[in-house]
Amino acid sequence: MKCSFAIALNTFKETIRDRVLSVIVVFALAMIVASLWLATISLEQQARMMKDFGLTAVTLFGLVVAVFAAGNLVRKEMEKRTVFFIFSKPVSAAQFIFGKFLGLALTVFLVVLGMGVFLFFVTWLVAGEAAGSVLLATLLIYVQVVVVMAVTVFFSTFASAILSSVLGVCIFIAGQLSHNVLSLTRLGDAEVLKVLSWLVFIAMPNLAAVDAKPSVVGEGSIAWGHTALWLGYLSAYMIVALLVAAWVFRRKEF
Amino acid sequence: MVRRILLVLIFVACALVVVGYQATRPAKSASSPRVFVPSAQFFTDFSPSFRTTIADAYWLRTVQYYGEHVTGDRRFDSLWPMLDLVTRLSPHFVRPYRFGAFALLEAGRPDLGYELLKRGHDANPNEYALLTHLGFFVYTYGSNPDKDVLAAEWYQKASELPGAPDWVARVAARLLTKGGERQKATMQWAQIYGDGDQYSRDRALVELDSLLPVDPAARQREVAVLAEFVPPYLFDEFSRALLGGD
Amino acid sequence: MNEAASGLSALAVVDLHKEVRVGFRGRKLEILRGVDLNVDRGEVYGLLGPNGAGKTTTIKVALGLMRPSSGSVATGGLGRESIGYLPENPYFYDYLSGREFLHLAGRLFGLDRRQRCDRVEHLLDEVGLNDAADRHLRKYSKGMLQRIGIAQALVNEPELVLLDEPMTGLDPVGRVEVKRIIDRLREQGTTVVLNTHILADVGELCSRIGILCRGRLRWQGPVAEAAAASSDGLEGFFMEVVGREV
Repeated sequence: MKCSFAIALNTFKETIRDRVLSVIVVFALAMIVASLWLATISLEQQARMMKDFGLTAVTLFGLVVAVFAAGNLVRKEMEKRTVFFIFSKPVSAAQFIFGKFLGLALTVFLVVLGMGVFLFFVTWLVAGEAAGSVLLATLLIYVQVVVVMAVTVFFSTFASAILSSVLGVCIFIAGQLSHNVLSLTRLGDAEVLKVLSWLVFIAMPNLAAVDAKPSVVGEGSIAWGHTALWLGYLSAYMIVALLVAAWVFRRKEF
Repeated sequence: MVRRILLVLIFVACALVVVGYQATRPAKSASSPRVFVPSAQFFTDFSPSFRTTIADAYWLRTVQYYGEHVTGDRRFDSLWPMLDLVTRLSPHFVRPYRFGAFALLEAGRPDLGYELLKRGHDANPNEYALLTHLGFFVYTYGSNPDKDVLAAEWYQKASELPGAPDWVARVAARLLTKGGERQKATMQWAQIYGDGDQYSRDRALVELDSLLPVDPAARQREVAVLAEFVPPYLFDEFSRALLGGD
Repeated sequence: MNEAASGLSALAVVDLHKEVRVGFRGRKLEILRGVDLNVDRGEVYGLLGPNGAGKTTTIKVALGLMRPSSGSVATGGLGRESIGYLPENPYFYDYLSGREFLHLAGRLFGLDRRQRCDRVEHLLDEVGLNDAADRHLRKYSKGMLQRIGIAQALVNEPELVLLDEPMTGLDPVGRVEVKRIIDRLREQGTTVVLNTHILADVGELCSRIGILCRGRLRWQGPVAEAAAASSDGLEGFFMEVVGREV
């Protein structure tokens, strides 16, 4: 574990220095401009629009930062040959993969939380609503983003950085449409198709099972029991993805 | 040096072309009154996580669409589909029901406005404003001979909801009177006296004075019945005002 | 990595073959074609050969960075926690300072905080980088990078040190310092395997050498014997051995 933490800390230092936190600044500016614009065209629904569009922006910005950093995470070490430095020491592939992932997860946490906190304060100041639910929704968005990041890290062990990132985005979209795949498993008579659909359903992360955004704007509320179950499922999914990534990476030669 | 100057000149020339082209584009013409609006089911099937965001985006589109056409060709062919989409994707988003009902009225479709309000009430039973709008629609555009009483019922329900202002109950009572429901009207006014502020009490007394029988005995009997609707600490004053004397 | 082959042997390579696949069609390329070499504990062993001979590949297989296609490599029972490695043309994390980088190396070896602090300060002093310890590695010259690279290879006080072209990019002062470090390692009983092109250094530092050419070990033995075998000394002997295979 010590090795993983050492690698995590190093990865955190590396990604933070990559000026990734400037995403928060871009987000902040976009939110300020958007809030002024929304005030004029939403017929006094500024608070709702800011929260809803703001959380969507947090998701998209967070996703972009996560998948593009994750796609490059392992590839960069190999291209820059720092893998020699790492693996000449008693570090296993699993420790390396988990460490890299943890470091990036911490960076992405700061980025996503920064955006969420900013959204909270802007909504409060501009629209007069102190919506704590925005912060809660931000945390749940972070969980989704981090799961996609884990899958992207898996792709990055054998694919190029760009391809891994694109596949990560595809996984995010597929994860939002998980229930559609479930429907496919029940369609038609061909057993092979049903089995294949079921395998795809299992392989894709179910990211849409819990969505906090509607509750932020008054559409329904969060079922905490189900949310806890979902978080447990996603944690297990992440671990599986990272272990598979470690297994693939272990077979690599440098 | 010459190359540098040339590069700067090329840059300036191209920048001028870019700015010039964009600056001379004609203003956006009003959109067609018919726009493509997918069904709510499409979004429900394909994007459960972003339903409210899509609803909000279409809400903004609806406001722009209405604004363009109410000042332009006054054709609102796609207004109902847009409002339908927004409210199906986000049933607890109240503003579209309220704005949409009156926009549909403007579009010459009070029937759709009424339907929209009813849907809004079903999804948001505690929003008093939707009920007052329903009452308004029934009273103003209904063809039922009992529309006054029907409208009064909506207002009455609205007055019982949290946050409903005092005038809602008064409107219900006036409509009951207008609809010939004297007894119901008196009960409503008595309720208003009991629940309302000073202005409401003053109004209630004026209305009750004209609704209650002139005959003192009959008046006394009816005032006694109204005790049910007036708190005990107010009833003495209430009955003195209507019956006169000590 | 396989376990100990001999109590006296720090590195025992037996009939090592290594193939890789290159190009679009995955054409097989044989890098090592049956390497047999032996490094005794406590000696400084020079691994020589022209470019592409397979020296770096042999080292990587010894470390487990590559897997042998056949044959075996034993490191005298030593695991990676007891081995230090300086890669050729090292690239490290340029956003870290020299001190931070050595601390990272220490953490990866599992050293506790106190051990790490002592070791890092000692090594910074040993490689002459005290003044530059808090500067980012991106600001280091090639020679400084080489020295910090040697330092990270020694963080764990290894019993076996594999140095791949340690003199690359060093000025004469740097080269003297590195030679001093290698001498000290030998005095401490540490086994050193030195991959190098610079025959003059080999003559000064190494007790035995192995000459690799085209994936095979062509000659192995004491430096003195090699130097005496040619009228042109070690260089002449090397050219004869390698020349035979060209």
